Amino acid sequence: MSTTTSAVPVNDVSATAVRLSGIGKTFGSGADAVTALQGVDLDVSAGEFVCLLGASGCGKSTLLNLVAGLDEPTSGELVRPTGSPSFMFQESALLPWLTAGRNVELPLQLSGLSRSARRARAADLLSLVRLDGMADKRPHELSGGMRQRVALARALAAATGPDGTGGGVLLMDEPFAALDAITRDVLQGELLRVWEATGTTIIFVTHDVREAVRLAERVVLLSSRPGTVVAEWQVTERHGAGGERLHDHITSRLRQVIASHAA
Amino acid sequence: MPPETTLPGSAARSDTSAAELAGLDALDTPTVARTPWWRRAITVGLPPLVALVLSIVIWQILWAAAIWPEFKLPAPITVWQAVESRLVTGEVLSILWTSISRAFLGFLAALVIATPLGLLVAKVKVVRRAIGPLLSGLQSLPSVAWVPAAVLWFGLTDATIYFVVLAGSIPSIANGLVSGIDQIPPILPRVGQVLGARGLTSARHILLPAALPGYLAGCKQGWAFSWRSLMAAEIIAAGPLLGVGLGAYLKQGSDLNDISMVFSAIALILVVGIGIELLVFRPIERRVLRARGLAAGV
Ligand SMILES: Nc1ncnc2c1ncn2[C@@H]1O[C@H](COP(=O)(O)OP(=O)(O)OP(=O)(O)O)[C@@H](O)[C@H]1O
Ligand SMILES: [Mg+2]
Repeated sequence: MSTTTSAVPVNDVSATAVRLSGIGKTFGSGADAVTALQGVDLDVSAGEFVCLLGASGCGKSTLLNLVAGLDEPTSGELVRPTGSPSFMFQESALLPWLTAGRNVELPLQLSGLSRSARRARAADLLSLVRLDGMADKRPHELSGGMRQRVALARALAAATGPDGTGGGVLLMDEPFAALDAITRDVLQGELLRVWEATGTTIIFVTHDVREAVRLAERVVLLSSRPGTVVAEWQVTERHGAGGERLHDHITSRLRQVIASHAA
Repeated sequence: MPPETTLPGSAARSDTSAAELAGLDALDTPTVARTPWWRRAITVGLPPLVALVLSIVIWQILWAAAIWPEFKLPAPITVWQAVESRLVTGEVLSILWTSISRAFLGFLAALVIATPLGLLVAKVKVVRRAIGPLLSGLQSLPSVAWVPAAVLWFGLTDATIYFVVLAGSIPSIANGLVSGIDQIPPILPRVGQVLGARGLTSARHILLPAALPGYLAGCKQGWAFSWRSLMAAEIIAAGPLLGVGLGAYLKQGSDLNDISMVFSAIALILVVGIGIELLVFRPIERRVLRARGLAAGV
């Protein structure tokens, strides 16, 4: 377990999937401008699983939107992944006029995959998130947890590409926050399995320390107002005493960061 | 890069968790109850039928009381005879056909013009500032106000009729599309963007389907306006060059002081207006809203 404070490990440039240097984002201008991010440095190498951890409102969603290209930074330099990254939103954000299956198929359709191929791929992905036989259901006929799983399948379809070999970047914004504990536990397991199988790069936003320690290879802690990287941890041991210690350590650091805003 | 640490007992765990998930799914999947069509037909169709029968009964009682002279309030049966006598000669059908075909042609033309217009107003800021207010203002202008101008421009021809119908329905349809697009939740275009939809692809896969409910509501209102405008135009602009539609038939009745003819015309206008709404627009709207889980009341 190594603790580095805002020092980003120097990676091989060729293996870098996403690089942020000195990224800042200010909403609005003049008196009521809100600086959501300031001086954020972060490198994510290809195939890495990084968790961004921070209190509510610290700019995690803003950061992901910048990486996804949904928004432009006001300062700093951002190297985005080649090809558009896949994104899983905080809410399920399914298209209500399409069935679950068609929602999963959409990214494949947009990338030009044939009808039968994308149907087969969508069926695979739906069964991966344990929704076999639900392809013909409309979003409103599904429970919140099932919708979020469809959204996960859709994000995986976009991230792993038509042949399922991966290599893409998957951005996830508190994807499991609204789920009950058991569903969340299962989906975390599935996500790890998919990540191990495909080598997709994942940037995962959460405010749950346990989730971060369970999933990530590296946990990045953000402070609030403006959001900036205050600490990083490499997770070497996910289970047992080491994992527990890391969890307690990160939690106390997160508490410190939050408490510092009270002053 | 995957970590070498394997999750202890992951295979066995994933089996039980699958069962747990299935259990949770069964617990909180919303159940959609479908009522059989005949039950729906009764609950939907019976109340208006009863209301109709009641109003005819009241009409009959009022007539029998002879409060008003016969030339002001005819008996229901006389009105029915006015329709029936023209039904056997086929006159009613030709009148209906004249009006309905005009309304539909006009409505289709309005669709073709209003749809790109609405898209432009909704998506291009300058266009919205320039003609947005005008478009919503026009919606409240009674289309009968266009008739005198149209008569001066086009004379007593079909062009006059179509002009008034277009003027009446284009603003509704375009405004419906604009508000449909305005009400798209902002997350949906972003979803389209991260899934790789740009420009026209985004319009086809995201924008238009998302705006469909508002667009349909606009079309429904556009139809009502086109029918209403058509009647106004037909009543005022009657002439030898124009075929006899429902409006002209109504005007004839009034010119001949034939109150049963007037009543039968009004009844036919109502029947067509309600009939098209119920047979064409209601089912389409129902389907679209149901597919999205929005059709609680319809
Ligand atoms: N479009 C916007 N206009 C103005 N301010 C914004 C906008 N989007 C976000 N902000 C502000 O930027 C800050 C960071 O917001 P962001 O949504 O990124 O937080 P977050 O870390 O994702 O929070 P949460 O955990 O609650 O999702 C907040 O203070 C928010 O008020
Ligand atoms: Mg957020």
